[in-house]
Amino acid sequence: MPVADTFIGGDVGDAPPEPLEDEGRRLTTSLSTSCLAVLIAIVLGGLIMLMSGENPLTAYTAMVDGAFGSKFALGETLSRAAPLAIVGYGTAVALRAGLITIGAQGQVVAGAIGALVTAQFFESAPSAVAIPAAALGGALFGMAWVLIPALLRAHFSVNEILSTLLFTEFAALLIEYLLNNPLKPPTAITPQSDPYPDNGILGLVIDGTRFHVGVFVAVAIGLLFVWWVRSDRGFSYDLYGENPNLAQSLGISGNRVIVNSLLISGATAGLVGWIQAAGLLQRVYVEIASDIGFFGLVVAFLGGATPGGVLVAALLFGALQSGGLAMQSSEGIPASLSDIIQALLLLGFSIRYAPQIIRLTRGVMANFTLIGKRRK
Amino acid sequence: MTSEPGADPATGTPLSVRGVSRRFGSVQALANVDFTLESGEIHALVGENGAGKSTLAKIVAGSIRSDSGSMSLFGQPYRPTSRREGAAAGVAHVRQQLSLVRGLTVAQNLQLGRPGAPAFFNAASARAEVERWSDEFSLSVPAETLVDDMPLAVRQQAEILIAVAWGARLLILDEPSSALGPLETKALIALCHRLRSEGTPILYISHRLPELAELADRLTVLRAGRVVVEGADVRAADLREVATLMIGDVSLLEVNRPEIEQGTTRLTVTDLSVSSTQEIGCHGLNFEVAGGEILGVVGIAGNGQDSLAKALTGQVKLASGHVLVDGEDISGSARQAIAAGVAHLHEDRSTGLAAAFSVADNATARHVRSGRFTRFGVRLADKIARHAGELVERFQVRPPEPAARASSLSGGNQQKLMAARELEKNPTVLVAHGPTKGLDPEAAKAMRDRCFASAQAGGAVVVISADLDEVSDLAHRVVVLYRGRVTDAFPIEEMTSERLGAAMAGLTETMGDASG
Ligand SMILES: Nc1ncnc2c1ncn2[C@@H]1O[C@H](COP(=O)(O)OP(=O)(O)O)[C@@H](O)[C@H]1O
Ligand SMILES: [Mg+2]
Repeated sequence: MPVADTFIGGDVGDAPPEPLEDEGRRLTTSLSTSCLAVLIAIVLGGLIMLMSGENPLTAYTAMVDGAFGSKFALGETLSRAAPLAIVGYGTAVALRAGLITIGAQGQVVAGAIGALVTAQFFESAPSAVAIPAAALGGALFGMAWVLIPALLRAHFSVNEILSTLLFTEFAALLIEYLLNNPLKPPTAITPQSDPYPDNGILGLVIDGTRFHVGVFVAVAIGLLFVWWVRSDRGFSYDLYGENPNLAQSLGISGNRVIVNSLLISGATAGLVGWIQAAGLLQRVYVEIASDIGFFGLVVAFLGGATPGGVLVAALLFGALQSGGLAMQSSEGIPASLSDIIQALLLLGFSIRYAPQIIRLTRGVMANFTLIGKRRK
Repeated sequence: MTSEPGADPATGTPLSVRGVSRRFGSVQALANVDFTLESGEIHALVGENGAGKSTLAKIVAGSIRSDSGSMSLFGQPYRPTSRREGAAAGVAHVRQQLSLVRGLTVAQNLQLGRPGAPAFFNAASARAEVERWSDEFSLSVPAETLVDDMPLAVRQQAEILIAVAWGARLLILDEPSSALGPLETKALIALCHRLRSEGTPILYISHRLPELAELADRLTVLRAGRVVVEGADVRAADLREVATLMIGDVSLLEVNRPEIEQGTTRLTVTDLSVSSTQEIGCHGLNFEVAGGEILGVVGIAGNGQDSLAKALTGQVKLASGHVLVDGEDISGSARQAIAAGVAHLHEDRSTGLAAAFSVADNATARHVRSGRFTRFGVRLADKIARHAGELVERFQVRPPEPAARASSLSGGNQQKLMAARELEKNPTVLVAHGPTKGLDPEAAKAMRDRCFASAQAGGAVVVISADLDEVSDLAHRVVVLYRGRVTDAFPIEEMTSERLGAAMAGLTETMGDASG
């Protein structure tokens, strides 16, 4: 009948049993495809440099040098990679459970606000209390920011891509409001908060670099993630991601998997908000999250949601960002070329996922047409 | 409406199919089929699952091609190469899986893909058209409601309505009533009669015989791709005989069944009802199965089997009733069912296995969250691989390679892997849903032996199947499901084609209680 020809393959019900699908539900990528994406990005990036009259060799040398060539460069790379890795690990937990949360950006913002508010509450407490309290506050705010999407997904099958994206938007509006009104010091002209309380500041560990405590947090979260993928609980979440029906028939509660894995991703993003506020910026700005939330997602995807993969992907993006800036200052080649390479990476890897992305987009669109309507 | 020059829709026979055959791999889905649809008639096409009904419908609609044979439509040679061509010639095919776009309204669906539709969509006129047709047939199909928000019966009406609005001269309905309740079926029958009186002949595919007596003029029976009855007068036909013909001979004693001593009752099902938006559900089932006994649940697919399998394994909340395993109520809790020793061979290997996971992870997945094979919450890969290796050996999964991906195994070995996971310990209750479906003879025998072994070890076995041979090979006793209810129950020795056919096609009074 209508749109008959868009349906290929005939009746679903009486078709013969299909061979087990191997890649269908897999959201994560294999090592080789990731490497290929990187390679393509580097080659295409080089071509673009040639076209804009730059020598790719000089540019790449400057980038590598600026990313790894000195103590300062290494510190810069690590300090940029750390938050990406933290968001990446948290997102990977959800990805492995078959959930695509793209709300890390908003959760970072929420976490920064949470950390600041908590730190202000503990202003006169010793650092040994104030620092962990603020970390917890950040994590809890990050979790709170994903709680509603998680519950909607678990109980009403509301697509988590759309809802987490909307909550990112809410977070952007909220921080804008807070930094213009209640959190804004009377003397400030631009939207910003009071300086982060001294007793909660995460000091720089190596002087003369921006290497900060966040790197150790990233290592700790990375170790936790290694434990997670080997744990029985982690396995049950992975099983749900691979085959929800089977997992449920084995007594695994789908709702619990959905809510918990999204909360884990929210907590890690919230921690990043805390690191941003307490470590790097020592104040809360509207742009506190930079693009960490979004690049963290990319890192999780590109790293195949595996411990090593996420680590390498985070380092790669950290290096591209720090190297790009260094290249601009040393060779005068615009840092936006590094942005182009990052974008190419994203593209190279999304082509691999074209079928899944199309399917997801359809899911999202279905939600759009149903906004305001019940959905079973 | 398209009409080819020279064709007179009033006089030409609407559809004539001559000697059509179609093969899928090793399956001869249709063999030399002759079929005629006369003008002004509703012609029922009946047959068991896999008889070839849908294949014939798709060939007529143009979505697949026949290997040989010819067709004519309203007196003109008819060789559609696509569904679009079939639609342009006036053949409308309403499939069981309705094909309306669910995120759009009926009015939008009406315009989408319409033959000769203008490039721009006039919302007001589309709405008016839907309303006009809806009134014409005394339906209440809403023009502006999203298809997703409409009940199934209304979606179906909408799809038929759109077919008519597109100028269908001939309508094929493939199992339109299989998901409908009795009242909705009545409304569908009224709509079909209405269409017939407007001059649209209908090919109506079903295996529900009672409704055909009221609905259809003639009927054709397909069995295993062959026409066994062509165009019999429905009013004069003995439907019980038709039911028997659909099934053919049921052969007993093909397998030498081992002697199994029966013990006390292990599985008790009382007043079991499951309501489901996806399928027919179950309504008021009562039965018991003793240790050592194999109960066959037969019925044409889609009559509540999925709901029953899920209910027996604790995977759905029950609308009413209880499932007791050795006296313990496991209703609605898969975890409790597993703890009570209930094993489940899923009907579909793609839901029963984690395809991308290793053989070892699949073989031991039943232990997930049990604390076995873990230390400090971490899974002990060596222990798991060793244990899986033993299981794979015992259940003869080939290759016996714990590290291989489950998806790399053949169908038969995947089934054995699922059995290895579920039957590691002798189950108290085994729910085997189509355990030999799609397997080669050797693998099928292995699965049958697993079912016998579970019974011999004192388990209660429930074999749910649409395949009568599978059930007659295995079961001691049979219950027949029709529209989610038990329509007959008898020991296997009393199974005859007549009795089974009648019960499966809904010609038997629903029985309240079928405990043996
Ligand atoms: N696309 C296909 N590929 C392979 N086998 C098929 C295909 N479609 C149908 N078959 C097989 O052809 C036979 C007839 O199927 P079908 O016409 O759907 O039966 P019915 O509609 O009567 O239940 C079945 O054995 C089925 O498995
Ligand atoms: Mg069919």
